[in-house]
Amino acid sequence: MESNQNDYHISFFRPTTVQAKWNRNLAIKLILIWAVAVFGFHFLLKAIEKPTPEAAYLNYKEVWGNVMMDNASTAELQSFAHSSLSVLGKVFVSSEEKAVLSNALSWTTFQLADSAQKELIFEQVVEFEKLKSEITSISDPDYIGAKNKISQLVSPILGLENNDPRKNIVSISLVSSDLKEFNAENKDAFPAIMTKYLIHNQSFLTDFKFLGFPFHYFYSAVFLLILFVFLCWIYCVRVDAMNLKLDIEE
Amino acid sequence: MKKLLLPLILLLSPSLLFAAGASTQLEGGFKVGPAIILITILCVFVLVGIFFRAKDTADFYAAGRGISRVGSGMAIASNWMSAASFLGMAAIMYGSGYHGLAYVVGWTGGYVLLLILMAGQIRKYGKYTAADFIGDRYYSQTLRAVGAIIAILISISYCVGQFGGIGLMFKWILGIDYTFAVILGGGVVLLYTLISGMLGVTKNMQIQYVIIIISFIIPLFILTAKFDYFWVLPQIGYGSVVTDIVSGVNLSEATQMFNALGHEYAIVPSPEFAMPWDTATGQSFFQWMAIAFSLMVGTAGLPHVIQRFYVVPKARDARWSVVWGLFFICILYWSAPAYSAFGKILSANPEVGKLAKDAIVVYTAQLGNINPLIVGLLAAGGVSAAFSTVSGLLVAGSSAFAHDLYVKIISPNSSPKRQLLMARIATIIMAIIVTAIALLKLGLIAQLVAVAFSLAGCTIFPIFLLGIWWSDSNKQGAIAGLIAGGLVSLIAITYFVASAKGVELPYATFITKWLGAWYFAWIGAPLAIIVNIIVSKLTPTTPLEIRKFLVLNVHS
Repeated sequence: MESNQNDYHISFFRPTTVQAKWNRNLAIKLILIWAVAVFGFHFLLKAIEKPTPEAAYLNYKEVWGNVMMDNASTAELQSFAHSSLSVLGKVFVSSEEKAVLSNALSWTTFQLADSAQKELIFEQVVEFEKLKSEITSISDPDYIGAKNKISQLVSPILGLENNDPRKNIVSISLVSSDLKEFNAENKDAFPAIMTKYLIHNQSFLTDFKFLGFPFHYFYSAVFLLILFVFLCWIYCVRVDAMNLKLDIEE
Repeated sequence: MKKLLLPLILLLSPSLLFAAGASTQLEGGFKVGPAIILITILCVFVLVGIFFRAKDTADFYAAGRGISRVGSGMAIASNWMSAASFLGMAAIMYGSGYHGLAYVVGWTGGYVLLLILMAGQIRKYGKYTAADFIGDRYYSQTLRAVGAIIAILISISYCVGQFGGIGLMFKWILGIDYTFAVILGGGVVLLYTLISGMLGVTKNMQIQYVIIIISFIIPLFILTAKFDYFWVLPQIGYGSVVTDIVSGVNLSEATQMFNALGHEYAIVPSPEFAMPWDTATGQSFFQWMAIAFSLMVGTAGLPHVIQRFYVVPKARDARWSVVWGLFFICILYWSAPAYSAFGKILSANPEVGKLAKDAIVVYTAQLGNINPLIVGLLAAGGVSAAFSTVSGLLVAGSSAFAHDLYVKIISPNSSPKRQLLMARIATIIMAIIVTAIALLKLGLIAQLVAVAFSLAGCTIFPIFLLGIWWSDSNKQGAIAGLIAGGLVSLIAITYFVASAKGVELPYATFITKWLGAWYFAWIGAPLAIIVNIIVSKLTPTTPLEIRKFLVLNVHS
């Protein structure tokens, strides 16, 4: 980094000694690898991403028009309920958004039920809500019993298969006051919630699996860290080698 | 030392075995097992601190420069692996999915910059503190004072998140109120730092590293084995957990697998957890890049990290200690995302309710039905992580005050005994300030710590980078650069605090978007460098003796 021993000048980009040039070149190479690996990869990820909807979103889009017009068939209403449940089961959803989705689900369930089932659903949901406000633990046997009862009654109505994880969400998502009407405000808010939670930025880098991971996830969570350690290791080895070669005693 | 530690551990073992039978609750209540483990570990720390305590100022500041490379690497890792790494990273990923990986990448990638651009040169410069370097390199007592004040501010900002983490774990273990937990935890860590000084701290850091990493990894082996994933290397095995979250787990796939609350191990498809900058998380591509960059430059500018290079015997040791340190750090960073992934599935049932994100590591172990004693060890590991970092930060902050402000500026003729006293007074004052701020609960642990990184990235990083690599960077340039970086920091932090307290400032939406408190260094650091270069070019050149020192001592 020094031009000579008389003017004592240091500049990373204008090295004048063999050692300084060597060190500069090594540093630039490693930093370039580092920058491309971290930022280059993410620019690439951004450049090739495509908004990709989940199956639940496509199903919702297909039936939404008829649901809005109140002329959806049973299969369409079931599909709509499934889509609502798909979002209700996500952990990120805020409580305001959950309220909208619960309204959609409760109303759809009521639409699908016959008059005898309607009465039963209403009674059981009211009873469950009462229990929910009273219990101190979710392991309360009465609470569990009431929850299972609703699930057993509503799951066939909604056409949920036995192994569907959404079965576990039905009971706690139904709201007695929402059963009879899907209110206009919630109808307006519904499409934005579905778009927000059911469309994702995907590409072949996110869809390709590596060691069980989505590739991009593996790349950032595992590979980059290995690369960082390797870059540091190679730097130390090369500097040691240079010091030995040039007979530099630090 | 070993003779004393062994009987202590044996003495406490029966209580630990007894405690193993005690049940663990998700929230509230005094937890016997975890409490005994925590107390045992703290006793070991204090004993080690007493046996290796600082005997004079040289010991207090730089541990006598007698620490080996691997030992120093462990100390770097322990010093680094704070509550933000142990608790905060998993919390961010649990709450924001792939966005959280910006923290993982930022906090490790910065070490490459630190090593290539600074570590060896800093050691060769041969100073005790960051402010020492700034004052000498820029031949200005004013800059030394400003450097010291910035170092103190960074230490305080960094400590706030740590105290929050200590408070959360004390609250969880002891079943006490958060406010009291923060005060109690703060008091214990202060006492420990005062007793030990940096020599004790360095020895302790090596022990702390072992405790932190063991306590963090054991539950992961158990979780991966229990839920039928590749348990031999859980850092890879959890990849299938991430894929399961993306594609969903049906009830039929989860036979006989339940969380601690009796819910099936099942989840609806949730690609938002793993997909980049997903709208569901409310995070953008710009934020990912800005956070990663800010954390990287911040890493290379943190006074307590830089200070670790003063405690190795040679520049070569400083370089290799970074390699070891980063490797040790990565062991934890490869593991942390696994907690967020398991946490996601195990808390997927809405009945689990809203969990405190910063404690998700512990909740995940609990929900995974892991033995209460191991969960207790995990929580104690979280406390250890915060302790090891806080003690390093308090030493860095108090060194900045006592060494750089008091000795170099206020009272140059003070005795070593008085210097040590001033360092200890500064430690107490800092601990009180940090406790008060931590009680305000301004954000998540990782986010609060990220503020310190951006502050360091805007101020210390540019001044060190140019100070080492460009001899024409002069006093005026450094002052101008500091003003530019400082202004960006001030604006960002002011808007952050105002927003957290519900105060509406003009252009708040624009400022908080582009100058977020966790990532304002993305613009602050380059700006400070550019301003430093321009002003240095326009003003008289650096004195000959400084340039000579750089050539002969730092770059030869």
